[in-house]
Amino acid sequence: MKSLLYQLKSVLRDKFCLMTFLLPIVMAAVLNFADSVDFTSVGDFQFGILEDNVASHTITWLERYGRVIVYGTQEELVDAINEPSTNLIGVEKEGNGIGTMLSGDELDIFRQTANTLPILYDQRKSVAQREVLVLEQPNVMEGFQDMLIVATLIVAMFMGCTFNAMNMISEKEDGVAYVNEILPMSRSRYILQKLIVGFAGGCLSSIITACVCFRYSLQEFAFMLILIVLSSFVAALTGLFIGKVSAGMMTGVAYIKIIMLLFIAVPVLDFLVEFQHPFVATLLYLVPSQAAFEGIMNLLAGSPELSVKDILILFAHCIIWFFLYLSISRQKKKKV
Amino acid sequence: MKHFGALLMKDVRLMVSGKFFLMSLGFLILYTLYVNFGYIRFMDVGMYQVYMYDPEGTQKEASSLVHRVPSEKELEAALLEDDNGVGINASNGKLQVLYSEESKKAGCHKADYAISLLRQSEKYNARIMGIQTPEQKARRDITCELLFFEMIAVGFLGIAAVIFKEKNMGVIRVCAILPVKRNWFLLSKITVFLLSDLVFAILLTLFNVGLSDTAGILPGVLLQTAFLSIIMALSGVICALLLKDFRQFTLAYLLITIFAATPVFMSANTPIKLEWIRFHPFYHIYMGLKNAYFEMSGNSPLYYLGCLIAVGGLFAVTLYIFRREMGKER
Repeated sequence: MKSLLYQLKSVLRDKFCLMTFLLPIVMAAVLNFADSVDFTSVGDFQFGILEDNVASHTITWLERYGRVIVYGTQEELVDAINEPSTNLIGVEKEGNGIGTMLSGDELDIFRQTANTLPILYDQRKSVAQREVLVLEQPNVMEGFQDMLIVATLIVAMFMGCTFNAMNMISEKEDGVAYVNEILPMSRSRYILQKLIVGFAGGCLSSIITACVCFRYSLQEFAFMLILIVLSSFVAALTGLFIGKVSAGMMTGVAYIKIIMLLFIAVPVLDFLVEFQHPFVATLLYLVPSQAAFEGIMNLLAGSPELSVKDILILFAHCIIWFFLYLSISRQKKKKV
Repeated sequence: MKHFGALLMKDVRLMVSGKFFLMSLGFLILYTLYVNFGYIRFMDVGMYQVYMYDPEGTQKEASSLVHRVPSEKELEAALLEDDNGVGINASNGKLQVLYSEESKKAGCHKADYAISLLRQSEKYNARIMGIQTPEQKARRDITCELLFFEMIAVGFLGIAAVIFKEKNMGVIRVCAILPVKRNWFLLSKITVFLLSDLVFAILLTLFNVGLSDTAGILPGVLLQTAFLSIIMALSGVICALLLKDFRQFTLAYLLITIFAATPVFMSANTPIKLEWIRFHPFYHIYMGLKNAYFEMSGNSPLYYLGCLIAVGGLFAVTLYIFRREMGKER
């Protein structure tokens, strides 16, 4: 217990550690705030017209579909159409109807829209005779936000890894690691102590992050807690592995970056691409964060029973990695 | 000059031993794979698909772009699968349009577009004002982003790591008593990083934009790369000299990469325009690089003046801090 207190004391003195634990919480708060900003109009079309070229009823008609921006000269309009960061469609009068202009490098949806806009304009009266039923479907933007929040949560869980790795590497660099070798302490107790600080920090940071982002029932909270605890444990263990493998601070940082990228990229990629192949889908579960991500996503979708599988997978990860680490460090000790 | 050559060789050797070049090569391969096998393939967004349930066959003129489905259930299933699609239910003598909407205006266009496909119409093609194909644009876009990210994130980290190593080994203090000009110590570092960044930029552009397009844009791209590289290298040196150890630096680094790069990317690549972004120095550099990639003439003399002032100012600050660090020895 006393030695644990020493560990905590050294953490509190290290501002870097404290900041790394706080960072995901700040990120979660920002994401929560971004929730209130309306991004829906971002995907709307943008039409560019020349001043006095297009009749006012045409402008009103265009405004049904998107934003209309008026330009003073032809050059300005062409520059705006060719500007690479926007997908502006130029509109001009052509006989009784309208014509459109494109830069030619737009995504397919904007090219097709520009190609069909004059036809829509010609048919504008008949097209209006229709009945519309807007389907209730989860908003695409909201899905992305969930993904970002869960990714933040994984970063929060990952903080335990960063901390443990840094802690072990700095002990190595200061020579404390050699002192630890001859301390009258059993190997497993040493590992547990090293684990606990990063694990507790990761847990705490992710629980606060989760509280900032989500509101849920007691049962969901219990599931979430289990997921957080298990994944923080795996992350803290990963930190020990990194600490063991890396020789110096530089290589340590490189390893942490690679592992972090892997932990975040795999589930996010799976979310975006949706790998259907069962072999690939199973392979992805070799990365522990995939199980955590899927579990939390299932919780958010309102089906906690689905996340039981993810919890079991995470649990298996915990046990396998823990014993692997234990056996590796035993072997090393024998060599010493 | 002989001394400068020796310093240069020492820096190159230090970077080789720090696996810096190996890391750059790794990133180059990673980026090239990502662009050629990932980004180009997944980034296109197609027009909405239209599905129609028309049991009585009332819509005889419907375009071939409309997918006919045999039952109402399958219409629902198709829309559930493809949440960007539009459904038309033409049963019971009326026309009902079904879609899920992200925004009112986009929804309105979806519905009108779907209905317009029910009639024969002439084919129209929009007038093309630009010279690039979508793939060319996508390649330039992503190459520009990757180069910017690589220099802000990876290059910055590299120079700081080298300086920290030398600081810890005491090389900086040894330099104080060496018979070389002090500016050379900094100049040799910046030269090495500048050269490696330039080579990286050339290779990245060549592999990802393509040989024929690269020739025209390369001079402009290299000029912008040089500015960014020198600015980042100098800031890296300043951070490394001011901060106590590498751990503190990683935090500063994280803040810089996340909070400096994110708004710039958002503002420059999406229709989201942030009001205050013109006060963001990196935004102008990014736009400079982007203008170079797209052969646009957006870079004003004022921008170049700003770049020169930034480089000069940073160099003066670096020199001052560097001398102070050396002075600790005396």
